[in-house]
Formats: sequence, C-alpha cells, structure tokens
Amino acid sequence: MTGGQEARTAARVAELNAAFGDPGDPVNPVGHDRLLEADEAGELSAAGEKLLDAFGLNAEFVPTALGGRLERVDSLARVLREVFRRDVALGLGYGVTSFMAAVNVWTGGDERQRTRLAEILLGGGRVSVAYHELAHGNDFLRNEFEARVQPDGSFLLHGAKQVVNNAGRADAWLLFSRTDPAPGPRSHSVLMVERAEVAPERLTVLPRYGTVGVRGCLLSGLDFDRAPVPGRALVGELGHGADLALRSFQLTRSALPGMALGAADTALRTVVSFARGRRLYQRTVDAIPQARATLGDAFLDLLISDCLCLAGTRSVHLLPDEASVYASAVKYLVPALLQGAMHDLSIVLGARFYLRQGEFGIFQKHLRDLPVLSLGHAGAAACQATIIPQLPRLARRSWFRGEAAPGALFDPRGDLPETPFGRLALTGDRDGLSASLVAAADTAPDGSPQEAAVRALARQLTGELRLIQQESLALPPQDRTALASPAAFALADRYAVLLAGAAVLGVWRRAGDRGDDPFLADPAWAAAALHRLVRRLGRRPADLPAGCVGRVQEELLRRHAERRSFDLYDTALAG
Amino acid sequence: MIDTSTGSTPQPAFDPAPRQPTAESLARWLVQHVAAYTRLSADAIDRTAPLTGYGLDSVAALSLCGDIEDEFDLAVEPTVAWDHPTVEALVAYLLDALGPRPETA
Repeated sequence: MTGGQEARTAARVAELNAAFGDPGDPVNPVGHDRLLEADEAGELSAAGEKLLDAFGLNAEFVPTALGGRLERVDSLARVLREVFRRDVALGLGYGVTSFMAAVNVWTGGDERQRTRLAEILLGGGRVSVAYHELAHGNDFLRNEFEARVQPDGSFLLHGAKQVVNNAGRADAWLLFSRTDPAPGPRSHSVLMVERAEVAPERLTVLPRYGTVGVRGCLLSGLDFDRAPVPGRALVGELGHGADLALRSFQLTRSALPGMALGAADTALRTVVSFARGRRLYQRTVDAIPQARATLGDAFLDLLISDCLCLAGTRSVHLLPDEASVYASAVKYLVPALLQGAMHDLSIVLGARFYLRQGEFGIFQKHLRDLPVLSLGHAGAAACQATIIPQLPRLARRSWFRGEAAPGALFDPRGDLPETPFGRLALTGDRDGLSASLVAAADTAPDGSPQEAAVRALARQLTGELRLIQQESLALPPQDRTALASPAAFALADRYAVLLAGAAVLGVWRRAGDRGDDPFLADPAWAAAALHRLVRRLGRRPADLPAGCVGRVQEELLRRHAERRSFDLYDTALAG
Repeated sequence: MIDTSTGSTPQPAFDPAPRQPTAESLARWLVQHVAAYTRLSADAIDRTAPLTGYGLDSVAALSLCGDIEDEFDLAVEPTVAWDHPTVEALVAYLLDALGPRPETA
C-alpha cells in the first residue's frame, strides 16, 4: 500500500488538529489553560488521553501489515507532532514510550510476539520500555537487572529498573536484561513480558519520580523478586539484546526529535503573538530589530531541524544501511537547536517567560518539557559516541567519492517503500547525505544573488567536510572509544551541523524540482539557514544578499497570521 | 564533478599488517590495537582473556571492526568483536575469513 500515503497522513494530521481544537479557547478541555492545570497537578490530561483513545493513536505505532497505520517513519513523526504541539507529556506519556518499546518487537520479535503486541496496542493498551538503570546511564552494558536463564529455557526476573514511563499501568514491558553474568555485549537480551504473566507478589512498582518537566508523565520503576516468566518472552536471540537495542534506536532517535518540533512551534507562535501585541518604545516588539531577528532565527532553527529530521527518518526507508549515523545526528543536534531557539525566545518574552499561567504560560511548560527529549534513550553524548567511531571509516571510504543520496530523501510528501525493520545496520560506511552536499556545491543553480549565496555557502560547508575528513583520519585510537577526548566530540558536533546543511540544500533543491512549494523552492530561506549553520561552525561567511532575512521573517509573520505550522509542511492549524 | 582527493595524508596510527598474515602476526596486530584503545601496554593483554575485561567498550569494539575492514579489505559484521571476544578468538575468525594459508596450517 504505497499510493495515497500523503493523503492518508495529511488527513490524520488534520483530524488530530481539529480534535484538539483552538488552544487559546479557555473552555477547550485540551486548550492551553486546561493543559497547564493538569501539569500543575502532576497529571496527564484526562481529556487529552480520551481524545487520543478516540483517535486510536496507538495504531500509528503498529505496522500496516499487523493492522495498524505505521507506514513511514517521517509520517509517524508528523502525526505525533500534533500531540507534542499541545503537550509533550501527553505525547510521551500517552504513546511514544509504547512506540519505543514496540520497535524492538517489530525489529527482532517472532510472529507470535508481533501479533500479540499489535493486539495489545490496537486494543488501547500501553507498553513500557526499560533499557536503563540509574546507576549505569547510557553505559547500559553494565546493567545488572537479571533474567536468569533456567534449565528449561524459562527465565527468572530479578532486580530493578528505574525511571520507566507507565511502568505501573502498562500491559507489557520490554525489558533489557542481563542473561549472563559475564561482562560484555553478548550478556544482554531483550524480553517482552506481559503483566499478566508475572505473579503479583513477585513484583513491586516503585514510587513515582517527581520531574522538572513532563510532570504529568507516570515515571516510576519495576522491582522484580525472582519472578518466573516463560521462555517465549525472549525477543530475538539470547545474548543479542545490545544489537537489537542499537537497531531499534535508529528508528526512535530519528523519529522523536521531529515529534518534539511541535512543542518548539507552539513556543515560537506564543512569542510571535506576544511580540506583535506588545508595545515598547512606541512600536510593537516585533518591530524592534533585535527581537525581529531572534524570531526569524528561531523559525530558521525549526526549518533546519525539520530538514535534518526529514533526511533522518526517510533514510530509514531509502538508505537503511546508512541510517545509524543520521539517526544519531538527528537525536544529537535537533534537541540542541530547538532548546537554543527556546532560550533565545525566552529573552524576547522577557519576564512573562517566568509566569506559569495566563496567555503566555504555555511557553514555560514547553521550555521545561522539551529537555526530556535529549534525556530519554540516548543523551547527546551517547549519540556523539555512536557517530565518533564511524567518522574515520566514512572519511576513508565515503566522503568525496560516494554517490549522492536520491532526491526522494528530501521530499516531505513523497511516497516511501515500507519500513525495512530487518535491514537496519549497526554502522555504515556510506554517506549519501554528505555526498549530496558536495554535489550541490558544484551543480546547484547560481543565477540570482541569492542562489549564488547558497552555492557559496555550500562550498564553505564542503571545505568543512574536508577538514572533518582530515581530522577524522588523524583521530588517535583512544579518541575512537567512549572515552574519546572533547576534540573528538566536537568533531561529531561539526559533522552533525554539516549534515543539517546538506539536508537544507537537499530540501531546497527538491522543492525547486517539484515546484509545488514556492517558499521552500526560494533560495532566500536556504541561504539564510546555511548562513546560520556556517556561523554555528565558527566560520564567518560573507553577508547575505538583500532580501534573504526579510523573506524568512515575512513568511514567519504570514504563517503566524494564517495559523500555519512553522515547519516543512505549512500545515493549517486549529484556532 | 566530485573531487576524489582527500587532502593531506595524516600519519597512520598503526603499523600496517603483514601482507601474508599468520596467526602470530594477526595476534600482534590485534594486541597492538586493543592496547591503544584501552590505553594499556601490549604486554598487559592476555590473548585468551575477554577484551571487555580490559575496558574495551562497545564504541571501541566498533572502531576495531572498522580497522579490521580497512586493514584486511574484508567486510565484517560490526559485532565481530562481540562474537569473538578474545584476541585468540578473533585471530581464529580472521584466519578463517581470510582463507586458508599454508603458513598457518
């Protein structure tokens, strides 16, 4: 079922948007006022959960072959973006944790497990995922939670998993468990355990954790006391939990940041509303040059983020053996870009960003909620550590010689083949995304001053790729481990910024070929976005030609006035 | 259209592996790499002990796979060091993967 994907996705986005209604309406049960109240009370919005039940959000996490609506990873992010636009806690606590759990089963589970999990999710049930233990963080190969293998092939679960979303109310848990006391990656396995399979006296649900953001999420833990579970709980092979987790991360790392972009969109919308309404120095705040520039830059950060999210999620379908490094780049850079934008926006909002209620109160909620994105399942440093060992290989084998990624990678509305869960690779030695940057530096149009600016910036990024290549080849062995020096981490940062630049160029060129989105096909935004990225790399690019910044700000104000989304989709929003 | 030069060539971090690898030369090559990744001296690496015991983390294990691929022009699973977790086991794997050679028979 490939035809009509765009229509199906757009219809679900519109349906969800309409269901949530006008966020500014004080009597809307899922408007900002009520969502802020739920947050203050430390509860997930009951009205929100009911709405998502009625929409059948869980079907978004289940592949179509198993009766769900999961066709494409980019579409999943786009639909969930509508939930995160309203409430990060609801997005995470209602559903995404179920997706993070389910991916392990879609990737490594057998037919019985896949069917059973689809049944649980489509029936409205929740599934928790427990990789981490507080004592070991992202160093999860040191985990101690045990699934002791019994002579008959069954398991005894023993030990605790902390900070698990929905631990107390899930119907099943995906447990990353030690199945061998020996150290090393082959000592861990993933188990899918249903609550009904565990004797109640063998399980204690740990007390709930209080958190800075996503206060409504039900984060607790599980403590098993030698609880027997059947051998069929094992997902994939015994001892292959680490590879399964790393493969699954490729889907979750590339999809989650794109969902969270919805929260940053609302934050920007809130501050634009403020800036257009408030008068200082005899003008509105949006007429003050510094404030106006900050708003335009935040819009660019959202567009840049969405370009990288798009390339990351679509690469899962189109370039599955390259997806590992892109997914980590998305999960590393996009949260950093969005949180940076939020910080800058808080300065425009001034004292109001500190208020927990009222017209602008939603801003501080999103500001507190958004960082959870870079904590769950691979923090920024862990993502960089995934990129670092791949850099020397890419430097030797791919950069400046590999084939450019297909244009379809950059097409926000283009159909995709189904998700190749089985083909995800742990590491790659090709990088078509960077190759598309190198190609663009030579072949992108350069007729107008704005096109020439894009081309010059692309050349600058290509020069940066050459530097990254040289430095990657020279990385000493100890810098290719988890204990790499800060310089190696900085290299991964620069590479991620460069990939974002390649994604911007790809989206702009593809839009030009398709001709159905005049803004995305306009070199003005691409030049402004690349300019921002080159500056982020610490370089000083030539000034942008006239009109680039103005065009971006004008588009921002148009979308604000017409209530359209600040991403690649220019979606009509309710309200 | 695409420039294939790679700029200045950095110094190689390791001695190249011998052209006709033997069990002994492979073991020495591997020990040298593991020692570099774990910041230990080559003497400290027991060829029969699990590499994770020396602090070879999963990131370094992936790097080691890349080194093997580049050095021997051999496509290996990124998990090769997980499935063959000692120097001795990796040597046996590599000898097998590189094909029979008279001097190792």
